Amino acid sequence: MAKKKGCMGCSFPVAIVVVLAILGVGVISLLAGALGNALLGDVGLPSWLLAQSPEVHLPTDVIFHFLGFPITNTIITAWITIIVLLTIFYFGTRSMKLIPSRFQTAVEFVIDYLLTFCEDIAGKKYGRKFFVIVATIFLFVITNSWIGLVPGVGTILVEGADGHMVHLFRPVNTDINLPLALAIISFIFVEYWGIKTLRLGYFKKFLNTHRFFQGFKELFSGKIKQAMGSLFNGAIDIFIGLLEALSEVVRIVSFTFRLFGNMTGGEILLLMMVFLAPFLLAIPFYGLELLVGFIQALIFAGLTLVFATIAITPSHSDE
Amino acid sequence: MEAEAIKLLAAGLAMGLGAIGPGIGIGILGYGAVQAVARNPEARGPIFTNMLFSVALAEAVAIYALVVAIVLVFVA
Repeated sequence: MAKKKGCMGCSFPVAIVVVLAILGVGVISLLAGALGNALLGDVGLPSWLLAQSPEVHLPTDVIFHFLGFPITNTIITAWITIIVLLTIFYFGTRSMKLIPSRFQTAVEFVIDYLLTFCEDIAGKKYGRKFFVIVATIFLFVITNSWIGLVPGVGTILVEGADGHMVHLFRPVNTDINLPLALAIISFIFVEYWGIKTLRLGYFKKFLNTHRFFQGFKELFSGKIKQAMGSLFNGAIDIFIGLLEALSEVVRIVSFTFRLFGNMTGGEILLLMMVFLAPFLLAIPFYGLELLVGFIQALIFAGLTLVFATIAITPSHSDE
Repeated sequence: MEAEAIKLLAAGLAMGLGAIGPGIGIGILGYGAVQAVARNPEARGPIFTNMLFSVALAEAVAIYALVVAIVLVFVA
Protein backbone atom coordinates (compact mmCIF):
# COMPACT_ATOMS: atom_id res chain seq x y z
CA MET A 1 0.00 0.00 0.00
CA ALA A 2 1.51 3.31 -1.01
CA LYS A 3 2.14 5.59 1.96
CA LYS A 4 0.46 8.96 1.61
CA LYS A 5 3.00 11.72 2.02
CA GLY A 6 2.26 15.36 2.42
CA CYS A 7 0.21 17.14 5.01
CA MET A 8 -2.88 15.75 6.69
CA GLY A 9 -3.28 12.78 4.44
CA CYS A 10 -3.60 14.63 1.13
CA SER A 11 -0.90 14.43 -1.45
CA PHE A 12 1.30 17.47 -2.03
CA PRO A 13 -0.46 18.94 -5.10
CA VAL A 14 -3.84 18.87 -3.34
CA ALA A 15 -2.34 20.63 -0.31
CA ILE A 16 -0.82 23.32 -2.51
CA VAL A 17 -4.15 23.89 -4.29
CA VAL A 18 -5.94 24.23 -0.96
CA VAL A 19 -3.39 26.75 0.35
CA LEU A 20 -3.63 28.77 -2.87
CA ALA A 21 -7.43 28.75 -2.68
CA ILE A 22 -7.36 30.04 0.90
CA LEU A 23 -4.87 32.75 -0.08
CA GLY A 24 -7.05 33.74 -3.03
CA VAL A 25 -10.16 34.01 -0.86
CA GLY A 26 -8.13 36.00 1.65
CA VAL A 27 -6.97 38.48 -0.97
CA ILE A 28 -10.51 38.91 -2.35
CA SER A 29 -11.88 39.42 1.14
CA LEU A 30 -9.23 42.01 1.93
CA LEU A 31 -10.05 43.91 -1.29
CA ALA A 32 -13.81 43.67 -0.83
CA GLY A 33 -13.97 44.80 2.77
CA ALA A 34 -13.44 48.07 4.51
CA LEU A 35 -9.81 47.36 5.34
CA GLY A 36 -8.94 47.07 1.68
CA ASN A 37 -10.94 50.16 0.83
CA ALA A 38 -8.99 52.18 3.37
CA LEU A 39 -5.61 50.84 2.25
CA LEU A 40 -5.93 50.56 -1.53
CA GLY A 41 -8.93 52.61 -2.55
CA ASP A 42 -11.62 51.45 -4.95
CA VAL A 43 -10.23 48.53 -6.96
CA GLY A 44 -13.32 47.97 -9.04
CA LEU A 45 -14.74 44.68 -7.80
CA PRO A 46 -18.30 43.80 -8.82
CA SER A 47 -20.87 45.25 -6.46
CA TRP A 48 -22.22 41.92 -5.25
CA LEU A 49 -18.81 41.16 -3.75
CA LEU A 50 -18.41 44.32 -1.73
CA ALA A 51 -19.37 44.38 1.95
CA GLN A 52 -22.04 46.81 3.03
CA SER A 53 -21.64 48.87 6.14
CA PRO A 54 -23.59 47.26 8.96
CA GLU A 55 -26.66 48.93 10.30
CA VAL A 56 -27.73 47.65 13.65
CA HIS A 57 -31.36 47.96 14.47
CA LEU A 58 -32.31 47.15 18.03
CA PRO A 59 -36.13 47.14 17.91
CA THR A 60 -37.63 44.33 15.85
CA ASP A 61 -39.39 44.94 12.55
CA VAL A 62 -42.96 43.88 11.86
CA ILE A 63 -43.37 41.81 8.70
CA PHE A 64 -47.11 41.46 8.50
CA HIS A 65 -50.20 41.44 10.68
CA PHE A 66 -52.10 38.26 11.42
CA LEU A 67 -55.54 38.56 13.01
CA GLY A 68 -54.54 41.84 14.60
CA PHE A 69 -51.20 40.62 16.04
CA PRO A 70 -48.03 42.10 14.59
CA ILE A 71 -45.78 39.25 13.48
CA THR A 72 -42.13 40.28 13.76
CA ASN A 73 -39.19 38.53 12.15
CA THR A 74 -38.11 37.15 15.50
CA ILE A 75 -41.45 35.39 15.96
CA ILE A 76 -40.97 33.67 12.60
CA THR A 77 -37.47 32.53 13.59
CA ALA A 78 -38.70 31.35 17.00
CA TRP A 79 -41.29 29.17 15.29
CA ILE A 80 -38.55 27.72 13.09
CA THR A 81 -36.64 26.87 16.27
CA ILE A 82 -39.70 25.14 17.73
CA ILE A 83 -40.26 23.15 14.54
CA VAL A 84 -36.60 22.09 14.44
CA LEU A 85 -36.65 20.94 18.07
CA LEU A 86 -39.93 19.07 17.66
CA THR A 87 -38.68 17.34 14.50
CA ILE A 88 -35.42 16.24 16.10
CA PHE A 89 -37.04 14.81 19.19
CA TYR A 90 -39.94 13.24 17.32
CA PHE A 91 -37.68 11.34 14.96
CA GLY A 92 -35.32 10.49 17.77
CA THR A 93 -37.95 8.77 19.85
CA ARG A 94 -40.25 7.39 17.17
CA SER A 95 -39.26 3.73 17.13
CA MET A 96 -37.34 3.38 20.35
CA LYS A 97 -35.34 0.21 20.68
CA LEU A 98 -33.41 -1.11 23.67
CA ILE A 99 -30.22 -1.07 21.59
CA PRO A 100 -30.60 2.35 20.05
CA SER A 101 -29.88 3.48 16.53
CA ARG A 102 -27.35 6.24 15.99
CA PHE A 103 -29.80 9.11 15.94
CA GLN A 104 -31.52 7.85 19.08
CA THR A 105 -28.11 7.63 20.76
CA ALA A 106 -27.40 11.27 19.95
CA VAL A 107 -30.74 12.39 21.35
CA GLU A 108 -30.24 10.21 24.43
CA PHE A 109 -26.79 11.75 24.94
CA VAL A 110 -28.30 15.25 25.11
CA ILE A 111 -31.04 14.20 27.53
CA ASP A 112 -28.63 12.24 29.69
CA TYR A 113 -26.19 15.14 29.88
CA LEU A 114 -28.96 17.52 31.00
CA LEU A 115 -30.38 15.03 33.53
CA THR A 116 -26.94 14.44 35.07
CA PHE A 117 -26.44 18.20 35.23
CA CYS A 118 -29.75 18.66 37.07
CA GLU A 119 -29.21 15.79 39.46
CA ASP A 120 -25.66 16.85 40.30
CA ILE A 121 -26.85 20.22 41.51
CA ALA A 122 -30.32 19.54 42.90
CA GLY A 123 -30.09 15.98 44.19
CA LYS A 124 -31.85 12.95 42.82
CA LYS A 125 -35.47 13.64 43.78
CA TYR A 126 -35.70 17.30 42.90
CA GLY A 127 -33.30 17.00 39.98
CA ARG A 128 -35.85 14.92 38.12
CA LYS A 129 -38.60 17.43 38.90
CA PHE A 130 -36.60 20.50 37.90
CA PHE A 131 -35.36 18.79 34.75
CA VAL A 132 -38.48 19.69 32.78
CA ILE A 133 -38.15 23.47 32.82
CA VAL A 134 -34.35 23.59 33.03
CA ALA A 135 -33.85 21.32 30.01
CA THR A 136 -36.49 23.21 28.01
CA ILE A 137 -34.82 26.54 28.72
CA PHE A 138 -31.42 25.13 27.78
CA LEU A 139 -32.55 23.54 24.52
CA PHE A 140 -34.61 26.56 23.47
CA VAL A 141 -31.82 29.07 24.11
CA ILE A 142 -29.10 26.99 22.48
CA THR A 143 -31.17 26.23 19.38
CA ASN A 144 -32.10 29.91 19.09
CA SER A 145 -28.50 31.07 19.21
CA TRP A 146 -27.22 28.39 16.82
CA ILE A 147 -29.98 28.98 14.28
CA GLY A 148 -28.91 32.63 14.35
CA LEU A 149 -25.63 31.55 12.75
CA VAL A 150 -27.15 29.73 9.79
CA PRO A 151 -26.57 31.64 6.52
CA GLY A 152 -29.79 33.34 5.51
CA VAL A 153 -30.72 34.54 8.97
CA GLY A 154 -30.04 38.24 8.90
CA THR A 155 -29.46 38.48 5.16
CA ILE A 156 -32.71 37.65 3.36
CA LEU A 157 -34.58 40.90 2.83
CA VAL A 158 -38.31 41.23 2.45
CA GLU A 159 -40.77 44.11 2.38
CA GLY A 160 -41.93 44.96 5.88
CA ALA A 161 -45.21 46.30 7.17
CA ASP A 162 -44.18 49.94 6.94
CA GLY A 163 -42.64 49.75 3.49
CA HIS A 164 -38.91 49.43 4.25
CA MET A 165 -36.88 46.39 3.35
CA VAL A 166 -36.31 44.39 6.51
CA HIS A 167 -34.69 41.08 7.32
CA LEU A 168 -36.97 38.08 7.10
CA PHE A 169 -35.28 36.11 9.87
CA ARG A 170 -33.47 37.43 12.90
CA PRO A 171 -31.72 35.64 15.76
CA VAL A 172 -34.39 35.36 18.42
CA ASN A 173 -32.18 36.07 21.41
CA THR A 174 -31.39 39.54 20.07
CA ASP A 175 -34.99 40.61 20.59
CA ILE A 176 -35.15 41.72 24.19
CA ASN A 177 -38.63 40.30 24.64
CA LEU A 178 -37.50 36.69 24.56
CA PRO A 179 -34.85 36.88 27.31
CA LEU A 180 -37.35 38.89 29.38
CA ALA A 181 -40.02 36.22 28.91
CA LEU A 182 -37.61 33.43 29.82
CA ALA A 183 -36.41 35.36 32.89
CA ILE A 184 -39.99 35.86 34.11
CA ILE A 185 -40.76 32.17 33.56
CA SER A 186 -37.64 31.23 35.50
CA PHE A 187 -38.58 33.59 38.35
CA ILE A 188 -42.13 32.18 38.59
CA PHE A 189 -40.71 28.65 38.47
CA VAL A 190 -38.31 29.32 41.38
CA GLU A 191 -40.99 31.00 43.52
CA TYR A 192 -43.49 28.22 42.76
CA TRP A 193 -41.12 25.47 43.89
CA GLY A 194 -40.10 27.46 46.98
CA ILE A 195 -43.68 27.99 48.10
CA LYS A 196 -44.71 24.46 47.21
CA THR A 197 -41.94 22.86 49.26
CA LEU A 198 -41.74 25.14 52.25
CA ARG A 199 -45.35 26.40 52.29
CA LEU A 200 -45.50 29.85 53.86
CA GLY A 201 -42.21 29.33 55.71
CA TYR A 202 -40.58 30.32 52.43
CA PHE A 203 -41.25 33.96 53.20
CA LYS A 204 -39.40 33.74 56.49
CA LYS A 205 -36.27 34.23 54.44
CA PHE A 206 -37.46 37.70 53.46
CA LEU A 207 -39.29 38.82 56.59
CA ASN A 208 -36.66 37.83 59.09
CA THR A 209 -38.36 39.33 62.15
CA HIS A 210 -37.69 36.42 64.51
CA ARG A 211 -34.70 37.88 66.27
CA PHE A 212 -36.24 41.35 66.48
CA PHE A 213 -39.27 40.10 68.39
CA GLN A 214 -37.03 37.93 70.52
CA GLY A 215 -35.28 41.14 71.51
CA PHE A 216 -38.58 42.63 72.66
CA LYS A 217 -39.34 39.53 74.72
CA GLU A 218 -36.00 39.77 76.44
CA LEU A 219 -36.56 43.47 77.07
CA PHE A 220 -39.80 42.75 78.91
CA SER A 221 -38.29 39.87 80.86
CA GLY A 222 -35.51 42.01 82.19
CA LYS A 223 -32.33 41.01 80.36
CA ILE A 224 -31.46 44.46 79.05
CA LYS A 225 -27.97 43.90 77.62
CA GLN A 226 -29.01 40.74 75.78
CA ALA A 227 -32.11 42.54 74.53
CA MET A 228 -30.05 45.36 73.04
CA GLY A 229 -27.89 42.85 71.17
CA SER A 230 -30.91 40.98 69.88
CA LEU A 231 -32.71 44.15 68.85
CA PHE A 232 -29.68 45.39 66.93
CA ASN A 233 -29.09 42.06 65.20
CA GLY A 234 -32.81 41.76 64.55
CA ALA A 235 -32.88 45.12 62.79
CA ILE A 236 -29.94 44.06 60.63
CA ASP A 237 -31.76 40.79 59.87
CA ILE A 238 -34.85 42.62 58.70
CA PHE A 239 -32.73 44.83 56.44
CA ILE A 240 -30.95 41.79 55.00
CA GLY A 241 -34.30 40.11 54.39
CA LEU A 242 -35.55 43.08 52.39
CA LEU A 243 -32.30 43.11 50.39
CA GLU A 244 -32.79 39.41 49.59
CA ALA A 245 -36.31 40.09 48.36
CA LEU A 246 -34.99 42.91 46.18
CA SER A 247 -32.25 40.70 44.77
CA GLU A 248 -34.85 38.06 43.85
CA VAL A 249 -36.65 40.59 41.70
CA VAL A 250 -33.48 42.10 40.22
CA ARG A 251 -32.59 38.58 39.09
CA ILE A 252 -35.11 39.01 36.28
CA VAL A 253 -33.25 42.06 35.00
CA SER A 254 -29.84 40.41 35.25
CA PHE A 255 -30.97 37.25 33.42
CA THR A 256 -32.50 39.32 30.64
CA PHE A 257 -29.52 41.54 30.07
CA ARG A 258 -26.97 38.75 30.34
CA LEU A 259 -28.57 36.77 27.51
CA PHE A 260 -29.60 39.76 25.42
CA GLY A 261 -26.23 41.51 25.77
CA ASN A 262 -24.21 38.42 24.88
CA MET A 263 -26.27 37.65 21.80
CA THR A 264 -26.53 41.23 20.51
CA GLY A 265 -22.83 41.81 21.14
CA GLY A 266 -22.03 38.65 19.20
CA GLU A 267 -24.25 39.66 16.30
CA ILE A 268 -22.68 43.14 16.10
CA LEU A 269 -19.22 41.57 16.29
CA LEU A 270 -19.99 39.27 13.36
CA LEU A 271 -21.43 42.17 11.33
CA MET A 272 -18.30 44.24 11.96
CA MET A 273 -15.99 41.38 11.02
CA VAL A 274 -17.91 40.71 7.83
CA PHE A 275 -17.73 44.41 7.03
CA LEU A 276 -13.96 44.57 7.58
CA ALA A 277 -12.89 41.53 5.54
CA PRO A 278 -15.88 39.51 4.39
CA PHE A 279 -14.91 35.91 3.85
CA LEU A 280 -11.98 35.11 6.04
CA LEU A 281 -12.07 37.25 9.16
CA ALA A 282 -15.48 36.07 10.30
CA ILE A 283 -14.54 32.37 10.56
CA PRO A 284 -12.87 32.40 14.01
CA PHE A 285 -15.69 34.59 15.30
CA TYR A 286 -18.26 32.05 14.11
CA GLY A 287 -16.49 29.53 16.29
CA LEU A 288 -16.62 31.98 19.18
CA GLU A 289 -20.33 32.51 18.62
CA LEU A 290 -21.00 28.77 18.72
CA LEU A 291 -19.18 28.54 22.04
CA VAL A 292 -20.89 31.61 23.49
CA GLY A 293 -24.32 30.32 22.52
CA PHE A 294 -23.68 27.04 24.31
CA ILE A 295 -22.25 28.71 27.41
CA GLN A 296 -25.07 31.23 27.72
CA ALA A 297 -27.68 28.50 27.46
CA LEU A 298 -25.83 26.54 30.14
CA ILE A 299 -25.63 29.62 32.36
CA PHE A 300 -29.31 30.48 32.04
CA ALA A 301 -30.49 26.94 32.76
CA GLY A 302 -27.85 26.36 35.41
CA LEU A 303 -28.60 29.54 37.33
CA THR A 304 -32.33 28.76 37.27
CA LEU A 305 -31.51 25.35 38.71
CA VAL A 306 -29.20 26.78 41.39
CA PHE A 307 -31.74 29.37 42.51
CA ALA A 308 -34.48 26.76 42.64
CA THR A 309 -32.25 24.52 44.75
CA ILE A 310 -31.53 27.40 47.11
CA ALA A 311 -35.25 28.17 47.31
CA ILE A 312 -36.27 24.69 48.41
CA THR A 313 -33.70 24.27 51.17
CA PRO A 314 -35.22 25.42 54.48
CA SER A 315 -33.42 28.40 55.90
CA HIS A 316 -32.05 27.52 59.33
CA SER A 317 -32.11 30.20 62.02
CA ASP A 318 -28.53 31.01 62.93
CA GLU A 319 -28.25 31.10 66.69
CA MET B 1 -19.78 70.07 22.83
CA GLU B 2 -22.60 68.78 20.69
CA ALA B 3 -24.81 65.93 21.84
CA GLU B 4 -23.59 63.45 19.20
CA ALA B 5 -19.98 63.80 20.27
CA ILE B 6 -20.80 63.39 23.95
CA LYS B 7 -22.88 60.27 23.24
CA LEU B 8 -20.05 58.57 21.36
CA LEU B 9 -17.55 59.58 24.03
CA ALA B 10 -19.84 58.24 26.74
CA ALA B 11 -20.26 54.94 24.88
CA GLY B 12 -16.52 54.52 24.62
CA LEU B 13 -15.99 55.35 28.28
CA ALA B 14 -18.79 53.03 29.39
CA MET B 15 -17.40 50.00 27.59
CA GLY B 16 -13.77 50.77 28.37
CA LEU B 17 -14.13 51.39 32.08
CA GLY B 18 -16.74 48.68 32.42
CA ALA B 19 -14.37 46.04 31.12
CA ILE B 20 -11.60 46.63 33.67
CA GLY B 21 -13.31 44.89 36.60
CA PRO B 22 -14.51 41.76 34.78
CA GLY B 23 -11.14 41.41 33.06
CA ILE B 24 -9.33 41.32 36.37
CA GLY B 25 -12.00 39.07 37.87
CA ILE B 26 -11.79 36.50 35.08
CA GLY B 27 -8.02 36.53 35.34
CA ILE B 28 -8.23 35.72 39.05
CA LEU B 29 -10.70 32.93 38.28
CA GLY B 30 -8.34 31.44 35.74
CA TYR B 31 -5.48 31.62 38.21
CA GLY B 32 -7.47 29.73 40.82
CA ALA B 33 -8.65 27.12 38.34
CA VAL B 34 -5.19 26.44 36.92
CA GLN B 35 -3.74 26.15 40.42
CA ALA B 36 -6.50 23.70 41.38
CA VAL B 37 -5.82 21.55 38.32
CA ALA B 38 -2.10 21.64 39.08
CA ARG B 39 -2.76 20.29 42.56
CA ASN B 40 -5.19 17.60 41.46
CA PRO B 41 -5.02 16.80 37.75
CA GLU B 42 -7.73 14.14 38.02
CA ALA B 43 -10.42 16.67 38.96
CA ARG B 44 -9.94 18.55 35.71
CA GLY B 45 -13.51 18.06 34.46
CA PRO B 46 -15.51 19.44 37.41
CA ILE B 47 -12.96 22.22 37.96
CA PHE B 48 -13.28 23.32 34.36
CA THR B 49 -17.09 23.24 34.51
CA ASN B 50 -17.18 25.32 37.69
CA MET B 51 -14.66 27.78 36.26
CA LEU B 52 -16.73 28.21 33.11
CA PHE B 53 -19.80 28.89 35.23
CA SER B 54 -18.04 31.55 37.29
CA VAL B 55 -16.48 33.14 34.18
CA ALA B 56 -19.91 33.60 32.63
CA LEU B 57 -21.19 35.25 35.82
CA ALA B 58 -18.22 37.64 35.93
CA GLU B 59 -18.55 38.36 32.23
CA ALA B 60 -22.19 39.36 32.69
CA VAL B 61 -21.04 42.60 34.33
CA ALA B 62 -19.00 43.48 31.25
CA ILE B 63 -22.06 42.66 29.15
CA TYR B 64 -24.14 45.14 31.14
CA ALA B 65 -21.57 47.81 30.21
CA LEU B 66 -21.79 46.69 26.58
CA VAL B 67 -25.56 47.06 26.62
CA VAL B 68 -25.23 50.60 27.98
CA ALA B 69 -22.75 51.43 25.22
CA ILE B 70 -25.00 49.95 22.51
CA VAL B 71 -28.01 51.86 23.81
CA LEU B 72 -25.97 55.09 23.82
CA VAL B 73 -24.81 54.67 20.25
CA PHE B 74 -27.87 53.26 18.52
CA VAL B 75 -30.92 54.22 20.53
CA ALA B 76 -30.26 57.43 22.43
